[in-house]
Amino acid sequence: MDSSLNIPFLIDTFWVALSGVPTALLVTVVAMLIAVPVAFFFALTRINNIPVISQIAKIYVSFVRGTPIIIQIFVLYSFIPIFLNSIFTKYNIDYPIYDIHPLWYAFIIFSFNTTAVLIEVFRSALGTVDRGQLEAAHSVGLTTKQAYIRIIIPQALVSALPNICTATVNLIKATSLGYAISLQEITLRAKVEANLGYNYLEAYIDIFIVYLIVCIAVEQLFKWWEKRLSRYKMASA
Amino acid sequence: MEKYFDIDYIWTALPNLLPYLKVTFLVAGLAVLFGTLLGLLLAFAKMGKSKLLRALANGYTTVMRCTPSIVLLFLVYYGIPFVADSLFRINLQDIHTGVFVVVTFSLQFAAMMSEVIRSAIQAINHGQYEAAVSVGLTPFQAYRRIIFPQAFVVALPNFGNGLISILQEGALAYTIGFIDIVGKANLIIASNFNTHALEIYIALAVIYWVVSITIEKVFEKLEKIFSKGSRSLKAS
Repeated sequence: MDSSLNIPFLIDTFWVALSGVPTALLVTVVAMLIAVPVAFFFALTRINNIPVISQIAKIYVSFVRGTPIIIQIFVLYSFIPIFLNSIFTKYNIDYPIYDIHPLWYAFIIFSFNTTAVLIEVFRSALGTVDRGQLEAAHSVGLTTKQAYIRIIIPQALVSALPNICTATVNLIKATSLGYAISLQEITLRAKVEANLGYNYLEAYIDIFIVYLIVCIAVEQLFKWWEKRLSRYKMASA
Repeated sequence: MEKYFDIDYIWTALPNLLPYLKVTFLVAGLAVLFGTLLGLLLAFAKMGKSKLLRALANGYTTVMRCTPSIVLLFLVYYGIPFVADSLFRINLQDIHTGVFVVVTFSLQFAAMMSEVIRSAIQAINHGQYEAAVSVGLTPFQAYRRIIFPQAFVVALPNFGNGLISILQEGALAYTIGFIDIVGKANLIIASNFNTHALEIYIALAVIYWVVSITIEKVFEKLEKIFSKGSRSLKAS
């Protein structure tokens, strides 16, 4: 093994790794946009003990929490083509399933995972809001929907935000597993670069730095948002 | 036409996979052991007086929190032999990959545990420590006999969650060629000429699911057993 780091390669590959950031963030944002409303709906069914849906949500959450993300990726990545194929052959749709862009798989897989995480986050956050608040809102004539939008969610969001931040950071980190579905994100791009000259250590140092920058930036963003949202607490204090 | 999905593969894969669960548990167990020791040191560094140590311990936790497991795994896998070679002229080429896996997940578990231990110790009223010292216990005795037994109960659920997550992160060890349960699954798929991957992965998912649920239940039980004492204290 070479006993010195290849510094020019280190610098060049840093920009390659950085060029994967938009892909990683795109997957994160899309997965979040899908997961938030779906998870909120399931969290409501869990809180109100809606039969059947609540149980399904419980099993779904237990499965996602009980299995490693990489296994979820493996299962979904081999399940989706088989599933689509059986549907397409049934209805005689001629579509090349094996040409589907990995981005679509990434959207499905990571929103599948994040939804389950967020169900638990929302459930515990909604639990922190006193039930009397909903009753009070009803008694002054608000509909349930209005009560949620104006009274409950703004309060629940404050206690949910640190957990949403953790979920987002975990999601960004999880996109590093995109190599398994040949998604061109941070890790895969830098790794491909390293394949030529076996400069793997340099490549992984670059990847490491890029994730560090992205995650710290996201954490700071959430901290700033949390401060803004909890202003009402300071005002009342 | 051959069936795309054949449930028989799940049943035949299970007995082939289960023996490798031992390897997965061994790695997780060692990572938990070393990680908890390092986590304890980090937790005390975070609560200590030295500003430098505090900053280092907090920095370490932030860096670990922001690094995907797979990136850390490869950094350790390529980085440790490189450092050993260039600084100490030690050749680590022939070392077992399991060592790198254990090092990686110990480092990660330590970061998790440092936060768990710190918050558990801080959850115990500081007056208890002062009371213990005032009746003549040394600080070490005060920690061992008064603070730790109580902090242990507080830390238990988080420790259980940490254990489950380190077991799951361990699934990535196959990427550096380590043959644990995931590595074995990939070998089985390769020997099937890459067909019926879905069935094998489902078997894998079911094993992990059952293990996680079992650990969760065990920790719920433990929590109940250990918090019995505190309940009677509250009642009195």
